[in-house]
Amino acid sequence: MKLRFSAASARAFVARFRGIAALGGILLLSVLLAGCATNPYDIPPRPGKAPPGAPPEIPTEPESRPEVPPEAEPVPPRAPRTREHQLSAATRSLVAQAQSQAAAGNFPVAAASVERALRIEPSNPLLWIELGKVRQAEGNFAQAESMGRKALSLAVGDARAQASAWRLIAESLRSRGRVQQAQEAQAAADALVPR
Amino acid sequence: MPPKSTYSRRKRRILKFALASLALLIVAGMIFVVYLDRIVTPQFEGRRWTLPAKVYAQPLELYVGMPMSAAQIEEELERIHYRNVDDLKRPGTYRRRGNRIDLATRRVRFADEVRPAQTLSITTDTHAIVALRDANGEDVPVFRLDPLLIGSIFPIHGEDRLVVTPDEVPELLTRALIVTEDRKFMSHGGVDFEAVLRAAWVNLRAGRIEQGGSTLTQQLVKSYFLDDRQTLWRKFKEAIMAMILEARFEKDDLLNAYVNEIYLGQDGRRAIHGFGLASRFYFGKPLTELDLPETALLVAMVRGPSYYDPRRSLERARARRNLVLKQMGDFNVVPRPEAERAMRAPIRITGGVTEGYYPAYLDFVRRTLRRDYEEADLTEAGLQIFTSLDARVQALAEKSLLQELERLDRVRKEKGDPLEGSVVVTEPQSGDVIAIVGGRQAGFDGFNRALDSSRSIGSLAKPIVYLAALESGRYTAASVVPDEPIEVKLSRTQVWKPVNFTKDFAGPVPLVRALAQSLNLATVHLGLDVGLPRITRTFQRLGLQEQPARNPSLILGGVDLTPMQVTQLYNSLANGGFRTPLRAVRSVVSADGTPLKAFPVEVTPAADPAAVHQLNRMLVLAMEHGTGQSARARLPPQIIVAGKTGTSSDYRDSWFAGFSGSHLAVVWVGYDDNRPTGLTGSAGALTVWANLLARLNTTSWDGALLPDGLEDRTIEFPTGLAVRPECGEDVVVVPVPRNAELPSKPGCGESVIKDLADRAKEWWEGVTR
Repeated sequence: MKLRFSAASARAFVARFRGIAALGGILLLSVLLAGCATNPYDIPPRPGKAPPGAPPEIPTEPESRPEVPPEAEPVPPRAPRTREHQLSAATRSLVAQAQSQAAAGNFPVAAASVERALRIEPSNPLLWIELGKVRQAEGNFAQAESMGRKALSLAVGDARAQASAWRLIAESLRSRGRVQQAQEAQAAADALVPR
Repeated sequence: MPPKSTYSRRKRRILKFALASLALLIVAGMIFVVYLDRIVTPQFEGRRWTLPAKVYAQPLELYVGMPMSAAQIEEELERIHYRNVDDLKRPGTYRRRGNRIDLATRRVRFADEVRPAQTLSITTDTHAIVALRDANGEDVPVFRLDPLLIGSIFPIHGEDRLVVTPDEVPELLTRALIVTEDRKFMSHGGVDFEAVLRAAWVNLRAGRIEQGGSTLTQQLVKSYFLDDRQTLWRKFKEAIMAMILEARFEKDDLLNAYVNEIYLGQDGRRAIHGFGLASRFYFGKPLTELDLPETALLVAMVRGPSYYDPRRSLERARARRNLVLKQMGDFNVVPRPEAERAMRAPIRITGGVTEGYYPAYLDFVRRTLRRDYEEADLTEAGLQIFTSLDARVQALAEKSLLQELERLDRVRKEKGDPLEGSVVVTEPQSGDVIAIVGGRQAGFDGFNRALDSSRSIGSLAKPIVYLAALESGRYTAASVVPDEPIEVKLSRTQVWKPVNFTKDFAGPVPLVRALAQSLNLATVHLGLDVGLPRITRTFQRLGLQEQPARNPSLILGGVDLTPMQVTQLYNSLANGGFRTPLRAVRSVVSADGTPLKAFPVEVTPAADPAAVHQLNRMLVLAMEHGTGQSARARLPPQIIVAGKTGTSSDYRDSWFAGFSGSHLAVVWVGYDDNRPTGLTGSAGALTVWANLLARLNTTSWDGALLPDGLEDRTIEFPTGLAVRPECGEDVVVVPVPRNAELPSKPGCGESVIKDLADRAKEWWEGVTR
């Protein structure tokens, strides 16, 4: 193995030039090795980690990167990948339909429209957030929060979706008078994407 | 004149006596009629199919990008009885030209909207829809096809019957019946005396029973009481009962009851009652789609379903069918040339497979609704019930199970009742139950194993134990547990000595390996350390209604659950730690279209999503490196799935529960009498599961959603020691809490800097010593 060979030559190197030269060699090698280290998740167990049907990975736009205020909590640790969820033409039209149904106060029908969209894209956090908003609007705050948490678990690497999910959670908590928790959720949202 | 007075007195006395006798007779007769009425009317009422709830499968959503070819879409259109035509005019028709399908849709009332009849054109490439347009050429973002009617809910339960409503009975059939069996049906009062006399005369002359004079109503009464004795007294009672029914009910109701009641054949131990089921059984299609010769054949069989069974004697069946056709021609039911043409048609029957009949699923629907509705609401109010059934997936599940069971029976040549099995399939995120197979004869409304067969779950319990361990925060996938013999004292006299499947033990092993290889001893050590209370609580949080007994054997699956209960548990895993009630019914709509009740998607956080992610990644490795490996060859290589085998003691039950990104399927295989099968989970149930998943067109389980706070680390599968990816043998990647302390393999440590620094330190110590 190439890397083993490198390690062996490092040992030989160390053996030959002891002292400061050796330390320099170690540093050099570490840099080299760090450079060729790969993402461990890409080695085993199987190739093809990007599943078919998953939304394409779109690098986050530079201006959407959260500007973290210095006094805010540290940003959650870097996610392994970034992706920005979007709605397809089909789900977008169903969500639009749901929004107008909800605006007319017809919450069960609005929820049914979002559920249709969810059947098409069950892992899209944006749709869970939409369903949570319908639940929030009709006064089912506990389900609104659960939908927010479900969205959060699907929004790994998507700061905007995470922020929307936290906002939904904050709102549902506020509606139930859980002010402290609501503020924490709101802070989590603001840390991701400032309002 | 005394003689005269004596005479008249006597006459008067006789008259009085006669009158009294007559009165008594009339009273007795009335009592008798009331008595018979008490018997026959409830019998009829109980089986009268007034306005049963109609049950629909989930509609197919068409949209651009949907992975379906033109051929697959055509298949779906055929399923919902769209006809392929050249001229698109009538609703319910379509036309296919290569990759383009135009359709004229019917008006459909869904729970949330009414969709008017319209035209739609679909264009596909080889594997997906590329365009959807309306009549004006405008893009249609998403379009719902008509939902398939899968059945109706009727007063009787547990009886194998595919009941049809009056509007599902073709007029051709009723007219053929009347002409063949009871020409005066529309006018008589239950008994056709002329026909009785004529039959009596014919039979008297022949010296044996040659002709029956029974009306349809009399035949109906006879079939209610299933008594073949042909005594005169019985006939008399039947006649009275027939007249009672005629007096009480409408002709249409009687005719519909007859269509659903009459005996039409035998399938082994199963009696085929009613034209609805008979049509599926003999021709594999709904009653509404029978053509003239097929209709005539069914009518012909009424007289003697066994004698005229085409599988027993094609000639007898043909002769009788042609007699029916001739009478239909003679009495202008159909034009004579048409009848004559039909007489020349060959008799084609299918192999007695009742596809399109979903008794196990309907059973689940009925149980769901029984919680919210009175029986009468379901059978009389004309409700519409929209369910989650996916007819395509249901058909694939039935096929995958039957094929494997037949193969196993062939190679094993076991005596006694054949192997049985059941399958439940869900869409984990919504909790929608999309298919239920209750036994190998899926079209047979018998024992519903998916709901009612509680069996020992064996190793299917292990993931719940491991989840409890991960959630405790004291374990990671790399933590090492001893796979060594253990004795657990259950009581003063009882000691439990579990053994491994191989009767061997592996020594210290990491969790990931213990689960992937389903090591019993390691799991018992782990489970006892985690503690039974925590494990039983995890079972309940994931969706088990009752708390399982806190017995150490629970760790190895010593608990009896139904496939549906197992599905609920695993659905919470497949759904990332969120519990969702499994749902068959989405909504109930009244006869006039008012939504009555919706069963919306509900999610409840049930387990720490990070712990569930770690567990699910271990279950992926169980498929890649462990007990699920044999499925790999059957599945498309790029599809990532997670799952667990289960085998109960003495191989009585073979289980597999596993999921992809879009489907969860739980399969059980075993004998009804709990005999050992000799099959492990990976031999029977896993094959069914893998064949099903391979056919489903499913998506990968998405392992890229690594929750915050976790990181991927490379460890050695056998030892659990952390290594650099390119170092060490047999390595796997597992997610562990960020900055978890994992012992490294000497010389193979993850961080080269640390590794080399260690060596430098050693060297320095060597120099300075």
